Amino acid sequence: MRPLQAHEVINEVLSGSMDLEDHVLQILERVKEKEDTIRAFIALAPESSIRARVREVREWLREGRRPRLAGLVVAVKDNISTSFLPTTAGSRILEGYVPPFDATVVRRLMEEGAIVIGKTNMDEFAMGSTTELSAYWPTRNPWDLERVPGGSSGGSAAALAYGGADLALGSDTGGSIRLPAAYTATVGLKPTYGLVSRYGLIPYANSLEQIGPMARSVRDLALLLDVISGHDPRDATTLRVPPTSTFIAKPADPRSLRVCAPPELLEASEPPVKAAITKLLGRLESEGAAVIYDRHLTTIDDALAVYYTIALAEAASNLARYDGKLYPFVRIAPTYTGTATETRSRGFGPEVKRRIIMGVTSLSEGYRDELYMAAAKGRRVIRDEVLAMSRNCLIAGSVSPVLPPRLGERITDPLKLYALDIYTVIANLSGVPSLTLPVDFYSDLPIGMQLMGPPLSEAQLISAGLLVESLTGLAGVAAP
Amino acid sequence: MSAEGLGYRIGLEIHVQLTEAGTKLFCDCKSNYRGMAPNTNVCPVCLGLPGALPVPRRRPLVLATAAALLMGCEMPTEMVFTRKHYFYPDMPKNYQITQYQGGGGAPICLGGRLRYYDPDLDVWRSVKVRRINVEEDPGRTEYEGSIQSSEYAYVDYNRSGVPLIEVVTEPDVEGPREARRLVEYLLLALDYMGATNPRLEGSFRVDANVSVEGGERVEVKNIGSTLDLERALRYEIFRQSKIISQGGKVRRETRGWDPVRKVTKPQRAKEYEEEYLYFPDPDIPTVPIKDLVAEARPLLLRTPERLMEAIVSYGVRQRRSWALVVTKPAAQLFLSSVRLGAEPRAASRLIAVDLKGLIKKFGKDPNDPSSWPGPETIARLTMLVASGEYTYDEIKYNVLPAIANDPMLDVKGVLPPKANNIDNVIDEVIMSEVKAVRDYLDGKAKALDYLVGRALRRMAGLAVDPKAVRTSLEERLARLTSGTQ
Ligand SMILES: [Zn+2]
Repeated sequence: MRPLQAHEVINEVLSGSMDLEDHVLQILERVKEKEDTIRAFIALAPESSIRARVREVREWLREGRRPRLAGLVVAVKDNISTSFLPTTAGSRILEGYVPPFDATVVRRLMEEGAIVIGKTNMDEFAMGSTTELSAYWPTRNPWDLERVPGGSSGGSAAALAYGGADLALGSDTGGSIRLPAAYTATVGLKPTYGLVSRYGLIPYANSLEQIGPMARSVRDLALLLDVISGHDPRDATTLRVPPTSTFIAKPADPRSLRVCAPPELLEASEPPVKAAITKLLGRLESEGAAVIYDRHLTTIDDALAVYYTIALAEAASNLARYDGKLYPFVRIAPTYTGTATETRSRGFGPEVKRRIIMGVTSLSEGYRDELYMAAAKGRRVIRDEVLAMSRNCLIAGSVSPVLPPRLGERITDPLKLYALDIYTVIANLSGVPSLTLPVDFYSDLPIGMQLMGPPLSEAQLISAGLLVESLTGLAGVAAP
Repeated sequence: MSAEGLGYRIGLEIHVQLTEAGTKLFCDCKSNYRGMAPNTNVCPVCLGLPGALPVPRRRPLVLATAAALLMGCEMPTEMVFTRKHYFYPDMPKNYQITQYQGGGGAPICLGGRLRYYDPDLDVWRSVKVRRINVEEDPGRTEYEGSIQSSEYAYVDYNRSGVPLIEVVTEPDVEGPREARRLVEYLLLALDYMGATNPRLEGSFRVDANVSVEGGERVEVKNIGSTLDLERALRYEIFRQSKIISQGGKVRRETRGWDPVRKVTKPQRAKEYEEEYLYFPDPDIPTVPIKDLVAEARPLLLRTPERLMEAIVSYGVRQRRSWALVVTKPAAQLFLSSVRLGAEPRAASRLIAVDLKGLIKKFGKDPNDPSSWPGPETIARLTMLVASGEYTYDEIKYNVLPAIANDPMLDVKGVLPPKANNIDNVIDEVIMSEVKAVRDYLDGKAKALDYLVGRALRRMAGLAVDPKAVRTSLEERLARLTSGTQ
């Protein structure tokens, strides 16, 4: 199935050949049809407020404004603050919380005429790789209902994959945009650290994560990236750079493309995954690209340990604030300590508690040096290696070592769950951008590939992505 | 040396709010929350809502850097903020953004020295500073009645995020009085830099560590005034010395100062070891110190020490210069009146002693510039004295009360005509007050006061120096007894 791509919709809306209300209603119909089985959304905007928003944007058009996302339906991950919809980060402990402010990315969406349709399901506080660890319900993969859509931005990916949105926002701490993109044949970008404002993103691991665009084609992804990117005075970690202008990027010329495919990002993958990526790399070569197979990423062995140590330390700190005093969810006990304890033991799920305990351990007096401090050092080593390689070539590799897992297959064993992130955490540890896009299907299951580049190489990645899309012909694909 | 003769050691942790920074440390809410309804000086950042990010505000960082420069601190190259975790109702995030040496962090001051003036002995002293942290203040918890009787705890986050510096001294403060003077000087210096207004309620608090020879260290928390600091230290040294001299043991503990009963009281001991999980705040990139130093330097042009030097250079004694400097508008008034030609010594006495005393006596605030006359007034009055037109006391008794009452008053209007016929008036008084004269001559010294009063009444509205009247009267009466009349 190939619904219209977002940039095609925009062209038709702005040229007047399509009424944006018709477009929005069509998507709402699709959502009604699919949500019972897929369950991608935790909260959907009431139809009345969507209609009101449509009228507002239509008025803008009548006034002659040409907002870049006019009438496009955007699904927003539930850890991104919206003042008009509850924001729970997939956790009971934030049940009923409606932030008094909009995330910067949401504000930018609204200024460009986007219609935010709802908040998408996710692993609780983004801690998970399958969306099964949502406190509410697991989301199913539209390509195979027995399988997970990946996580933690699984709701956004699933909504895109079944045509429940034109565009979506996810967040990526260690692969949370890219795994779901790979599992659902959608496109996702983990931007350069500091390119997109985190203001309003409910934090999991601040030094690693970025909000990023998700779409069904590289061109659509570029459209969304240009809107959300750029310096934000409310986030001191954003870079002092203007918004990107990647929408106008052209497909890369294969003859000037250099791709490194380090064996460490490919070899341990399941045969179908490895085969699909190898085949794609071969096609690039035959188009004239230089593909280098013998450059090594030796630090990858430590990447998962380093990643989880840092992420969980930051997570334990970030999650300290949920003690029942400022948020609706509370279990009152006679003392403050009692209330905090009861609220937290009822409000957090088991995986979140596990990660808090591990994070506290790695920061505690007796362990800080050998855990947190050692990981911070290890992170610099990994980053140096990735940055050095990215100066010479785009880095290609698997996104996930496996095809989309079946529901229940991974979450029983935390170590098996964490291992899904092996290829993706590198970009977060290094701060470099990583683009994921579909390369093939294996018995109707999507397979994705990631491309990493040096910091702020988004335009380059998007050009390369457009080239790959022209070879795969998978731009705009959606589940039936 | 304590009352009991045992040696002791005192170290201070002084928390000062940068009330004059304008904004909170990481958001644009106000640094001075006084007089605001509860929870109206808040935003997503200082409420610690998830996703709202702290962005360091420039002014608080510059002021903190100025404090470090004042104390001649060794400084790191970068300003780093660290998270310190503990669960508390008035801490929105359950961690405080502060500074910490270790784990990749550093305080803004890694060691320095604070010079301070001791007006009691008219000497300069100094204390070693171990470190200075920049950090955010938590909110406040309030109760209905007492903590036990109150059904609810009310949390007000207006204070949450207000910039604070914590100055930690080495335990080499000489004594309770010196501790008080040290803190007073520090507050005054920060006041002059435009960092804090120490007169605002709750703008500073001191924790004091006291150990008496033979005992362990006791921490006395939450002392809210410099007078209480001196009292708390005296009390604690006395208490510990008594225990030790009676053969008891002083164990390491935390006590609180009760300003009403003027005693320290044990605080509930912590049930477990503190574990603060320090690590650098990943939301806040480090800030280079070099630029901050450049911005902070000009603030050091007006420390109390430099001002005192300037005043002393006019021939004013050091202790008098301190009396001027402790009241900011007084020091400013002095300097500007001298620039207008005021005679410095008379001006310093007039401002720092007599006018200040009258302003206080009339219940006005000497720290409010509008309580003081303009520099032209001071200049003019001192010139009248210098030229010999009036004596200092004539000005003091006849002009200053009116000016203290209404600083905008024109001196010309207040200046009484000179009473140049004192002798005639005194003659008249002696003639008419026969009984009082006889009483005085009989040895009732008090009768003289009465006679002076009668003389002053006859000269009401004129510039009279009461001392001169008294002297003349005494001389005349003495002549009466010797029979020369
Ligand atoms: Zn605020």
